[in-house]
Amino acid sequence: MSATQERLAPPRAAGGYGPEPLLEIIPSPRPRGLVKFITSTDHKQIGLNYMVTAFAAFLVAGIMAELMRTQLIVPDNHFLVADTYNQLVTMHGTIMLFVFGGPFAFGLANYIVPLQIGAPDMAFPRFNNLSYWLYLGGFVVMMFGFLTNNGAADFGWFGYAPLTEAIHSPGPGADMWVVGIALTGFSGIFTAVNVITTVFTLRAPGMVMFRMPIFTWNQLVTMFLVLLAFPVLTAAMALLWCDRHLTTHFYAPSGGGQPILWQNLFWFFGHPEVYILALPYFGVVTEVISTMSKKPVFGYKGMVAATLSIGGLSMGVWAHHMYTTGAVLLPFFAALSLLIAVPTGIKFFNWIGTMWQGVITLSTSMLFCLGFLGLFLLGGITGVMLAEPPLDFQLHDTYFVIAHFHYVMIGATAFGAFAAIYYWFPKFTGRMLDERIGRISFAIIFIGVNLTFFPQHDLGLRGMQRRIFTYSSFEGWNFLNLLSSIGAYLIGIGTLFTVINLIMSVRQGRIAGDNPWDGQTLEWATSSPPPEHNFELLPPIRSERPLWDANHPDQLTEVGH
Amino acid sequence: MSLIASAPLPATHWGGPSGITTFAPEINRVWWVTYLFAIPIGLIVIGLITWAVIRWHRRGPDDNRRPRQFQYHIPLEAAYTIIPLVVVAVLFGFMYGVENNIIHVKKNPDVKITVQGFQWGWRFTYPNGHQEVGSVAAEPSIEDVQNLPILRMPEHETVQFTLQSDDVNHSFYVPEFLFKRDLIQRVHNVVDVNVTTTGNYIGECTQLCGTYHAFMRFRLLVMTKSAYNTWYRSTKPNSITCAGGGNC
Repeated sequence: MSATQERLAPPRAAGGYGPEPLLEIIPSPRPRGLVKFITSTDHKQIGLNYMVTAFAAFLVAGIMAELMRTQLIVPDNHFLVADTYNQLVTMHGTIMLFVFGGPFAFGLANYIVPLQIGAPDMAFPRFNNLSYWLYLGGFVVMMFGFLTNNGAADFGWFGYAPLTEAIHSPGPGADMWVVGIALTGFSGIFTAVNVITTVFTLRAPGMVMFRMPIFTWNQLVTMFLVLLAFPVLTAAMALLWCDRHLTTHFYAPSGGGQPILWQNLFWFFGHPEVYILALPYFGVVTEVISTMSKKPVFGYKGMVAATLSIGGLSMGVWAHHMYTTGAVLLPFFAALSLLIAVPTGIKFFNWIGTMWQGVITLSTSMLFCLGFLGLFLLGGITGVMLAEPPLDFQLHDTYFVIAHFHYVMIGATAFGAFAAIYYWFPKFTGRMLDERIGRISFAIIFIGVNLTFFPQHDLGLRGMQRRIFTYSSFEGWNFLNLLSSIGAYLIGIGTLFTVINLIMSVRQGRIAGDNPWDGQTLEWATSSPPPEHNFELLPPIRSERPLWDANHPDQLTEVGH
Repeated sequence: MSLIASAPLPATHWGGPSGITTFAPEINRVWWVTYLFAIPIGLIVIGLITWAVIRWHRRGPDDNRRPRQFQYHIPLEAAYTIIPLVVVAVLFGFMYGVENNIIHVKKNPDVKITVQGFQWGWRFTYPNGHQEVGSVAAEPSIEDVQNLPILRMPEHETVQFTLQSDDVNHSFYVPEFLFKRDLIQRVHNVVDVNVTTTGNYIGECTQLCGTYHAFMRFRLLVMTKSAYNTWYRSTKPNSITCAGGGNC
């Protein structure tokens, strides 16, 4: 039976749960293909648009990384010229953060959050459509910088003033970066408003806040961070644009502006941004570990509290990116930065507790979650080192920092995204991804990531500074750079396996059925893919895993401890 | 603790340099304390995850067991909240004093040098007005070290660097200092460095400052006090020495 037939088939014979079917009048014909892609206000279509675009951006920025690693494979290499390298450095970071990491999570929020809370759609479907188009517009605008005569932006993804001023970075590439980021900023704000409203107003009867799955909780907290951080970023970009074109002097020192103001504004966005990129994927990992271990999330309420405290603390740690500027109060930001390790640690122990005494299915999604745990742990430990100013004075802006945040970002964002793809692909398409290819893909990527980034810790300790397009042979950096580049190629090869898997499985994959993983939350209570109004029937919601309760009434969560 | 602090440390000795300033032992101690907590905690967490996966993985597609559905264990949860809080507090306590020492600036340093960064080179100005200047223009390739600007300083003396930028942000970093500070317009940055060994080192800019950021390096010559004084007396006030012999 094909996926379409599956979808058209009458709803499963209900096991008695749910009062009566939700009804919707469906006019016909419904748009399909490109028209649907452009016009749809269905949260699932928009979610897929987001995820497909974001994954494409991941591949684009990944190719940029491969080019940079090729330049750095040997000392004094002439594969790329300095300006091209700087453009790639900038756009790799910008795209990975603004166009892949955040928006992929927004796509997941769009697709999964309404399903998990039993809602028929997002609160503002057309607004949702607008968010996507602003986002895509932002991506296209910043990429088109490569077609201008000075090339794309080339001042690093955090674009420190006054390097971004018109006299140091002339040309439209930099302007397109500014405008592109501002557009993705608005897109993020709109999505945040939408998701928050959806969660607050559209929960199904019985779905009280403390019965929401952790993924939805994390998305909710993330969206509040987006609301706090993105307007600051967008405003900072607007001021920068004024500096570049209207001869204002917000950041330009020549007219009395303060370059350090940019750093404060940018990182006031930039550090919450790290958690905006991490928290949704923490949610993914929580869902996958819980489902694959066939157990409820251990310490559910502690998990929610940890997410809330990470959200709160993340607003007060921005200046740990600025220890070496000599312009911030070190002990305050050091204390808060160290403190944020505590709720993150709680999450780790809760994940371990969820696996403890479970029956753990080592599916590809679960493997990516285990990979996430390992990588993020190391990234977290080096994060504690960098949070201590005496060590950060040594390590800041060296490859140690590159290693740290790639362990964090690849660990959380990329592995989280891969886990989400392997976990929810059956729900998105009605078909399973090939588990064998998935495992090969995971193994190659995991080895590749460690081979690429572990040696970079040592490179940083040896004094190799960030964002240099070439280095000399006598520094003792040659062998480690070679290893790092080989690792980068492995990551590329491993990713190709998943791309091939996606292309093959979307048409030929095994039919998934409604609930292939014995999932516990409501997105698995409907067909795969879900009908336009999402649910024919809802099981009664009496805990944070209503579907498990309905499917295994003899195995409810134990009360007490 | 003093015994540990003077021992070589894996973190900085994998391939990285030993510190050459008076703060090196203190910084090493912070590394040690961090490692003392980080390595055991890391190993415990990895160990627990590995154990859980090995001990409780599903044994094939026919394994349809379902586990106990427990969810809370308040004493355990309290423990793994409180213990990390204590660890973090101890770390903070250890690093707080060191950080204050490192950034402390003396009223009466022995030598004052102004360090100015520009796209893409350095200008070092000594108290008598003598300048040592050099830029990417004089460097034929990244392999070249002969034509880098030279920063000379005496050992065992507190040298105070005033850090300024002509244009965009730069950062003043010698890996052996285990320390760096940014050069930002309108931020007044002064740092004290007291080096305990003579030698010849490479310094670099660590803040992306445009096209030739990678070339923005300098040579640091730490000299004995007498050699430094001899050299200093030989410089003409307000003279300029250009690295590579060209104009600057």
